[in-house]
Amino acid sequence: MTQPLVIDNLFKQYGEKTAVNGVSLDVKEGEIYGLLGGNGAGKTTTMRMVLGIIYPDGGRIQYHGKEYSSELQHGMGYLPEERGLYPKVKVSDQINYLARLRGMSAKDADKSLRYWLDRFEVPEYYDKKIEELSKGNQQKMGFIAAVVHRPKILILDEAFSGLDPVNVEILKSTVKELRDNGTSILFSTHRMEHVEELCQRITILHRSNPVLQGNIREIKQRYPREQIVLNTIGEVTGIEKIQGVQSVEKRERGYLIHINNVAAAKEILNMAMQQSEVEHFEIKEPTLNQIFIQEVGESNE
Amino acid sequence: MNKLGTVIGFTFWNKVRTKAFVITTIIFALLVTIGVNVPYLIKLFTGDDGNKETKIGLIYGSQSEIALRLEQFAASQPKAGFKLVKYEQADEKALSKDIEDKKIDGYLQFKDAPAGQFPEAVYTSKAGSLDMGLQNALQSGLQIVKTQYITKGSLSDAQVAALNQPVQIDAQQIKGQGGTEASGKGKQTGANYVFVYIMIVLFWMTTMMTGNMIASEVTSEKSSRIMEILITSVSPLTQMFGKIVGMFLIGILQIGIFGAVIAINVMLPHNREAFSQLNIDINQLDLSVLLYGLVFYVLGYMLFSTLFAAVGSMVSRTEDLGQAVMPITMISLASFYIGTFSASSPNSMILKIASYIPFTSPVSMLIRVGLGDVAMWEVGLSLLILLVSIFVFGWLSAKIYRTGVLMYGKRPTWKEVRKAMQAYKI
Repeated sequence: MTQPLVIDNLFKQYGEKTAVNGVSLDVKEGEIYGLLGGNGAGKTTTMRMVLGIIYPDGGRIQYHGKEYSSELQHGMGYLPEERGLYPKVKVSDQINYLARLRGMSAKDADKSLRYWLDRFEVPEYYDKKIEELSKGNQQKMGFIAAVVHRPKILILDEAFSGLDPVNVEILKSTVKELRDNGTSILFSTHRMEHVEELCQRITILHRSNPVLQGNIREIKQRYPREQIVLNTIGEVTGIEKIQGVQSVEKRERGYLIHINNVAAAKEILNMAMQQSEVEHFEIKEPTLNQIFIQEVGESNE
Repeated sequence: MNKLGTVIGFTFWNKVRTKAFVITTIIFALLVTIGVNVPYLIKLFTGDDGNKETKIGLIYGSQSEIALRLEQFAASQPKAGFKLVKYEQADEKALSKDIEDKKIDGYLQFKDAPAGQFPEAVYTSKAGSLDMGLQNALQSGLQIVKTQYITKGSLSDAQVAALNQPVQIDAQQIKGQGGTEASGKGKQTGANYVFVYIMIVLFWMTTMMTGNMIASEVTSEKSSRIMEILITSVSPLTQMFGKIVGMFLIGILQIGIFGAVIAINVMLPHNREAFSQLNIDINQLDLSVLLYGLVFYVLGYMLFSTLFAAVGSMVSRTEDLGQAVMPITMISLASFYIGTFSASSPNSMILKIASYIPFTSPVSMLIRVGLGDVAMWEVGLSLLILLVSIFVFGWLSAKIYRTGVLMYGKRPTWKEVRKAMQAYKI
């Protein structure tokens, strides 16, 4: 089966400046693919090229094995970073309008809109104007506008920025639900914790270049595990003498141990169990945040 | 095509339902109502004065012969609007008193003059001036008296009457000029003139109004960033033309409303009379003029509105829009003024040239068709040029639109737009 979205060696230049330099990725059906990067890394440009707003200077984008054509627009949904909606038009009017522009019948569009408003538990917004809503709710409406026509490929640019934790959770669960229904989602953010929760595979862009790519777990395994969290009831002494331990930080309820060899972990645990009762023991894998900073920081130098 | 309809519908309904639209339409309808009623109102105010005759003291003094003749003339013309009161001598005090007592409104006296020459007449009143109607009446009366006075019986009454008859000039048009005449009737009819004038004003007004609406709509779509979603849903060309057509329908709706308001007002009994005096007969209106008018109207609108859309797409904020649409406003003003100033001489060279230049041709050609004489091929050529330029400017505007809607920040220069167009590969 052909992949819903395959990007092959994408290249884009704005005048002198290269905006995207050789990005390749593919999004499977029912997958959320994370596109990470700092500001100006080329995330939005990549997404715009996927959407056909701007044309790439090099490389190819294929949608279910086909080249871009205007018919494909019906199968795509887009939530731009700056939520675009008419401020003075009623929610129902504009979302139905956008849905109809993407090939839905007026009746289907209305049904779909009402479903989504109920899904977000805000059916009363149907007759409200966008400017009357709070920023977070405007964003929800923007999200509905992106998914109202049930797109096969959904592109979310910083979908969760500016939302309170409750709304982030609501939106997150909605995105997961869409994924489980088979939507391919290309998702950009600079909030690593969202990526770790939602995505299997990611690409980190830095200054137009893809610097790191692949499955999150595999990526993490490539990086050494350097920290152990140890919580005990009583005191444990002598950890720093174990081979492979670099330093020991005393914490409120235990210790944070920096190691340079994972083999030391077993000995630490043994020692702790002999001396006291262990409440918590964890070999921490590096967070994406750390990896990101490490990667981006290194290439900065 | 389906999408075009959706865009048109959305543009139309969203604009029509806004308060601003409803209010401006009502205000304009009121203004139109007042305008239509102006002839009646004028009649109402001047009508009162018409019933009252101006009483003029006529001082015989040394020029008793002239005074007598004038009095005879006045007696023979009961509708002249003035009545003469005889005074033998010029006694300023008595006369002033009579004016104060409203026995007379003013007095007329003749200066001394050598024998055989007609003396100067002086009218003295409170205001120190004569109103137009009275002056005309007195002047024509005195003219006749003068003729009688100078000829002194050497001419017969019939000859004097013939002399007093004003010279008449009848204008006639050459007939059968190889089919140049679409109507066959005299062209410079009141109805055509009024129609052409109304069309020009309407053309200019709706183009400016809807054009500015289009531009500001595009800009606000850009600044609210909905453009990014729109552009992924519908092609820019469809989007642009949908907006233009939608706005055009709004313009037509407004014109329709104004037209209905005018029609209702004209139909009112008091106005029907006032208008019948203006000698305008709707039946005189040339059907071909109406048709040409509509064609040029629609095409001219299309041309201007594509430009407005293109300009709107280059600006990121509504505040910058006024400055950006300035050049288009200037062009449309120029076309409007060429039209209105040349309406009295529809065959002038400037109008001929202007009728082949795309931006001025809708107005200029309309005047030439309606009021001047113009060959079929000239109309055809002008139409062709207009159509081609709509195509060219429409194409160009669509490109600018496509590029402009993704450019944010300050208003781009032409060079930047061209660069961006290359960068976007459009």
